[in-house]
Amino acid sequence: MADKPEVTEETNRVQALFDLTGRVAIITGGAGLLGAKHAGIIAAAGGFPVLLDLPQANPDASAALIAKKYGVEAAGYATDITQLAAVEEVRNEVLARFGRVDILINNAANNPKVESGGSKAWSRLENFPLEVWNDDLRVGLTGAFLCSRVFGSEMAKQGKGVILNIASDLAVIAPDQRLYRQEGVPEDQQPVKPVTYSVVKTGLIGLTRYLATYWATAGVRVNAISPGGVFNHQPEAFLEELYQRIPLARMAHADEYQGSVLFLCSDASSYMTGANLIVDGGRTCW
Amino acid sequence: MLVGLDRSSLFSLQGKVALLTGASGFLGRTFAETLLANGADLVAIGRPAKLAAQQKLWSEKYGSGRVHCYFVDMFDLEELARILEEIAARHAVDVLINNAHELAPSSGFNTPAGSLEQGTMDAWMRNLTAGVCWPALTVQKIGAGMKERGRGSIVNISTMYAVVAPRPGLYEGTAFLNPPAYSASKAAMMAFTRYVASFWGQYGIRANAILPGPFSNTEDAGPNSVQAGDPFIEKLKANTCLGRIGRASELAGALLFLASDASSYVTGQGIVVDGGWTAV
Repeated sequence: MADKPEVTEETNRVQALFDLTGRVAIITGGAGLLGAKHAGIIAAAGGFPVLLDLPQANPDASAALIAKKYGVEAAGYATDITQLAAVEEVRNEVLARFGRVDILINNAANNPKVESGGSKAWSRLENFPLEVWNDDLRVGLTGAFLCSRVFGSEMAKQGKGVILNIASDLAVIAPDQRLYRQEGVPEDQQPVKPVTYSVVKTGLIGLTRYLATYWATAGVRVNAISPGGVFNHQPEAFLEELYQRIPLARMAHADEYQGSVLFLCSDASSYMTGANLIVDGGRTCW
Repeated sequence: MLVGLDRSSLFSLQGKVALLTGASGFLGRTFAETLLANGADLVAIGRPAKLAAQQKLWSEKYGSGRVHCYFVDMFDLEELARILEEIAARHAVDVLINNAHELAPSSGFNTPAGSLEQGTMDAWMRNLTAGVCWPALTVQKIGAGMKERGRGSIVNISTMYAVVAPRPGLYEGTAFLNPPAYSASKAAMMAFTRYVASFWGQYGIRANAILPGPFSNTEDAGPNSVQAGDPFIEKLKANTCLGRIGRASELAGALLFLASDASSYVTGQGIVVDGGWTAV
């Protein structure tokens, strides 16, 4: 293993508590920025990441990189998680190759940027296209449901497993649309954070609690993380405004959610189920 | 990021100094072991009778250089303040864990005198002192150094009863009682946690809480302990989704997560570790 640490008496205990050796982890949206980070920490803890993503995201290539970096087995499947048959096919292939599924991270979601799309006003509720609404819900919620149904059932059969849903601070608070305002743009043209993001992420919290009680006695624990935004060289003016809303006065680093992911995917959280871990620099505490 | 991403360094407390109150209690002992086993030097506050024995055990296991015990009855707030000043002068504390609480008849536990109808103001004050004044004092005295150094993690041990109320049916026909002052003091502790997170985030100090569910003390023979086969435990189990009470060691993961850099973007939060008690 590339970064295998020296095992001392002090680190021994951490190793055991957060160990994922031999555990197979399905990660949807696994080739994306955060999906690859989730896969990285799974691999660093000894687990086998299985990346699901659309063909154009090339999950195979991402899996190969992770396998090489961490010296673990990893697999990538180009698939559409909104199709039951496609998810079942992946399950069959994963079971044939690894023989088991231990962890499911429902990470895939459309994240339409406020400024994306043709007309500047498309994101406003009055104009929000029904096709975009349907597609966002299909990926974010239907996809999470289908993967939970298919892989969660497998874990329930095994009598042990973990599902982690990646929600958002916008599952807990409303978007502050003032952050996205643009000078000199008329009111009815001002860009906003799309409604689907709040709905999908809040829906994942409901799914988390539902599945937590549904499979509790089957040994499948289900929790969520609600992360804040990740720093990605956003415009200065935006950052300045945003930082005033966060006690730690900064956005998260891309790798800063890995601790939460490993905590909730490992036995370190063995008595936690149905919980939502908010990782937002304090944004929702004031 | 400054932290390593392999699991041993991400959650490690190597080279850090952790101050733990109530170190010799049922959960406190597990927290102390967790801190020591994962590399932290331990500064422990507790009553002499039990803590002295623990000090001997820990020193033998981890070396006396890593275990520093301060003996005090925390209800003596003047003496507590003096001890905390002494600690602040001697140790650069990185992690502060407010764990101490008095779970005894004097605080209204397991006695009709603690009930909603009959609870004495003295029992109320003892709960509020433990849940609010102790953390206020430790944060004030130890936090000053954290502000200067520009970093620190504060972990307050609350309870799921800060979020949901105890159910009266749990206690019917038993000698157990969880007093209203406990819920109130621990809910206040959550408000205090958010306040510290809000005001000191700018100094790199994080403040969070752990909210344990049913972690019955089946180890000690103290006033709040439960015998392993007690029917009360069956009642507790039935209120969880996982169908069992928690083992003290099952709080170690949450503590390591919040104390270490693994949670570097987490502040103002409470982690509920309750087997799904509050999920339904």
